[in-house]
Amino acid sequence: MTIRATWYAARARRWLRACASVGNEPYLVGKPTIDSDGGQLRIGNRFRLASRPVASHLVAGPGAVLHVGNDVSIGYGAAIAALQLVHIGDGTRIGPFVIIMDTNFHGAPGDQSIQHDCRPVTIGDGCRIGSRVTIARGVTIGDGAEILAGSVVSSAIPPGVCAAGGRARIIGRAGDVRSRWDSAAAVLPDVLMASLGLESPPDLDGSPMPTHLWTEARMKGVLDAIEDGLGVVLDRAAARDIETFADLAAAVQDALWERQGTAREA
Amino acid sequence: MTFKDNVSRSWARLKAGPVWIRSSLGAWIWLRDCDEVGANTRTFWRPNIENRGRIVLGSRVRINSNWAPVELVSGPLGVIDIRDGVFINYGTMISAHRLVRIGPNVMIGNYCIIADTEIPGIGEPPGGPSIEPRPVEIGDGAWLAARVTVLPGARIGAGAVIAAGSVVAGDIPPGKVAGGIPARILRAG
Repeated sequence: MTIRATWYAARARRWLRACASVGNEPYLVGKPTIDSDGGQLRIGNRFRLASRPVASHLVAGPGAVLHVGNDVSIGYGAAIAALQLVHIGDGTRIGPFVIIMDTNFHGAPGDQSIQHDCRPVTIGDGCRIGSRVTIARGVTIGDGAEILAGSVVSSAIPPGVCAAGGRARIIGRAGDVRSRWDSAAAVLPDVLMASLGLESPPDLDGSPMPTHLWTEARMKGVLDAIEDGLGVVLDRAAARDIETFADLAAAVQDALWERQGTAREA
Repeated sequence: MTFKDNVSRSWARLKAGPVWIRSSLGAWIWLRDCDEVGANTRTFWRPNIENRGRIVLGSRVRINSNWAPVELVSGPLGVIDIRDGVFINYGTMISAHRLVRIGPNVMIGNYCIIADTEIPGIGEPPGGPSIEPRPVEIGDGAWLAARVTVLPGARIGAGAVIAAGSVVAGDIPPGKVAGGIPARILRAG
């Protein structure tokens, strides 16, 4: 162990000294704010927490427990506050600027006038939580679930799924849905606008295709445009069954995956 | 140009002088961990540079770290390639474990996250689940507004504009205005 590593380890221990227990090899980048006014922070082995460029803070209120499992890594700017119970399972990876709180309102420190209505938050083992995700009180996230960046989670998420959105909905299995967020979603509105002569980009979130647009001739134009713009050939017969823009996006995405051989790694 | 214009311009330059000197000296001192820094690159206050791989800055790059530091982090195999005339506003994190390439004259707003791994700025936990970094590319003259998150594997075309608060996944074609979560085309530019 080098002198530098020894110094970093000692410094991490010092910065985490407010915790009730800290496991082996904590690794901190920058100085976080750790606040346990009467609560307990229990941190597992190989905890990794970034606090640069924006400091993260971990808070456990009076009588509260904030439990962090083994092999957890948390990005910078995280705000994790427990006034009752927050549990983060083993091997969970959390991106930057995440907010995890078991109350709806987290006031200024020492403000006694707020009536907190707490419900415990539980995050399972091996979850992946993207950047700028907000997790509301009372939420349970199952083992191995994946929350994509920018989502707000306000209801329970079952194990092994992928959820996303302003009110996080399940959009598929963990690991293989990321690509649906990728290229087709970005490029397809433009292709459709040009080929259908629309004024504004169509809504890809499941609005039905206007029937006057989806005629045989139009369909041919759209498929040709998709072929030119995205380089994928859709099956003409299958294309007749498409009813919504979302179906079309999914078909295009499936074709893109096929062209790439396998689904892109998660 | 009238005499009055001339005077006011000279006066503005005179006033800007200390800032110019300070920011140029700042670049010389605070960017010393970068592998290459071009001419006239300036930093306003101190960015955090953590260079374990390679960080290349072009000329006329301006980095503003006034309210929250800009963070440039490269892992052992990571390359951050920032071309000429890029402007980076405060609180932005750029993290590369493989490659992040930012083209000439790109403007990046405050608190953006541009990273080719899930959790920027922190290495993979030893023995933990390892996830392949996917290179990120931003084309010439693109403009990222405030709080934009660029996910691993994203490519933003030349001259594209990304609205504030968006999450960019996948490809954004050149010259388009895109926004939302995930970012989609809002306007044809």
